[in-house]
Amino acid sequence: MSKWQSDYSSKTGDTVTYGAIGSGGGIEQITARTVDFGASDAPLTPDQLSACKGCVQVPWSLGAVVPAYNLSGAPDNLRLTGQVLADIYLGNVTAWNDPAIAKLNPGVNLPSTKITPAYRTDGSGDTYAFTDYLSKVSPEFKSKVGVGTEVKFPAGVGGDGSDGLAAAVSKTDGAIGYLTIAYVTSNSFNYALLQNAAGNYPKASIPAINAAAATAKSVPPGGVSIVDPPASAKNAWPDSTFTYVIVPTSTGKADALKKFITYALGPGQSFAEGLGYGTLPKQVVADSKAALNKVGG
Amino acid sequence: MTTESATATLSPSLGGKRRGVLDRVGDRALYLITLLAAIGSVVILGGLTYKVVDLASGAISNNGLGFITTSNWDPVHGQFGAAQFLYGTAVSSFGALLLATPLSIAIALFLTELAPRGTRTPIATLVELLAGIPSVILGLWGILVLAPLMQSTVEPALHSALGWIPVIGKLFAGAYSPVGLFPAMVILTIMTVPIVSSLTREIFTTVPPAAKEGALALGGTRWEMIKTVVLPYSRPGIVAAVMLGLGRAVGEAIAVSQVIGGAPSIGSNLFLPAQSAAGQIAAQYQGGTPDTQSALAYLAVILLVLSLVFTGVARLLVRAIQQRSEGRSQA
Repeated sequence: MSKWQSDYSSKTGDTVTYGAIGSGGGIEQITARTVDFGASDAPLTPDQLSACKGCVQVPWSLGAVVPAYNLSGAPDNLRLTGQVLADIYLGNVTAWNDPAIAKLNPGVNLPSTKITPAYRTDGSGDTYAFTDYLSKVSPEFKSKVGVGTEVKFPAGVGGDGSDGLAAAVSKTDGAIGYLTIAYVTSNSFNYALLQNAAGNYPKASIPAINAAAATAKSVPPGGVSIVDPPASAKNAWPDSTFTYVIVPTSTGKADALKKFITYALGPGQSFAEGLGYGTLPKQVVADSKAALNKVGG
Repeated sequence: MTTESATATLSPSLGGKRRGVLDRVGDRALYLITLLAAIGSVVILGGLTYKVVDLASGAISNNGLGFITTSNWDPVHGQFGAAQFLYGTAVSSFGALLLATPLSIAIALFLTELAPRGTRTPIATLVELLAGIPSVILGLWGILVLAPLMQSTVEPALHSALGWIPVIGKLFAGAYSPVGLFPAMVILTIMTVPIVSSLTREIFTTVPPAAKEGALALGGTRWEMIKTVVLPYSRPGIVAAVMLGLGRAVGEAIAVSQVIGGAPSIGSNLFLPAQSAAGQIAAQYQGGTPDTQSALAYLAVILLVLSLVFTGVARLLVRAIQQRSEGRSQA
């Protein structure tokens, strides 16, 4: 977003002012119309959407979260399934040499270290993407924890912000936490490979996120979830997510907003890969542009 | 804390001169500006209290007093119980004051009674400089330096020294974590020692020299003089200083949330992660749904009441001390 902001103003001379205040704050301010547009890592709930009175939300970027871990005596890229990851966060699987993990990693000598699941204490789109995924693969997780930017995890330690979570993981032997791809690669964390619906364990990479996003054939007004994509996407990263821009349909700045968001959906996508984000698939861009046409008209 | 005895002597001597119009305007302006500043602070306190209570009203009517007694904070399912955060705040703050009070008294005694005269001011200044460290920096230091040291050295040592004692030993059970209640207590101790020790030091200086000399003249040692004169005379003042320190500790959000571990749990083991009320508000308010925000505002109301009570009690005690020392100087 800050990249778009500077590039857009250097190309067009128009200024976009963006304050990062957290998704909840952004939704609140766009609902009160104290800002011209909002951005959120989680799609608005039906309640939030109706409270926003005539808002459209369109996907405009594509990210993913990755389970990073810190376990001395274990190699990088241990394999996990969504079910096992959910059991770890539910407190059902508590040691790294639990048979459920050992079965997925034949030939790996797993230490008996206690697993410390780490999570974000602040409201976070990463938490949304992570709980969205675990709720989809584990009915128990869905009923006990559910999906949200702030949820109640039954076990583990919290960290404030990505940095706080990263610190909790790197300081605790046996810890596992969820971070964005960019964060994991730039800080060289070990991370677990997640089994997708096709039964593969793809590396967390931009192509793997794009493969997941390609399964989104259309974008309904309530947003679209691409976690645990269908088996047809053989190499899709199972925990990918769209982030959204929220725009009121009646606004005095319709033209300026449309111009900026069209830029973000078009030329703006070229920055995505370098920053650890995926590129929006064509059909999502087409749907986003169609939704954008409702603004101001 | 200072006595207000020798102030009202200067002003009458200016009276005889005829004043210019400008002077009068100036006086009027000064009066208005200072009045506005004073009213402003009252208005802000009132407006702030109103806004927080207003925000909290939804959560107060939904949860009632159960908010304080239950511990299920689950925004997804609309359940809000804050006992675990109040527990985290209470244990970390009281624990901190338990460590900070004897330390502060020791520092204050050293600086008023024992240290060589030339070194008193420099040391006192350094201790008070501690209060000037931004809390986020203390918190960072907590994460980077203090927490690993706690986990690898201090906590195991405490466990082997105290873990065997029945009941109390449960506080020092053998599970170590880099983040948790204990590091939070230590950080809060560092933050409250400057406040408590500088207030205590001022209180010690109000002990009448005649009483101290009397104790020494009766053949008492320095320690006996401190025990029989300085400490009993200063007791209400020390309590007030501790109360003010407590107000500081209860409200501290940033440094605590950096080291406490953010886990909403109530456990007897001081080494395990917990969460404080202020830390929870700082972490979750911005990202929260309206229901969550209302519940956090409820938590803020509780904090506000607690800190007003602590500060209020401290002020009452201070006033009692001032009256006592004024009474003495008139006698």
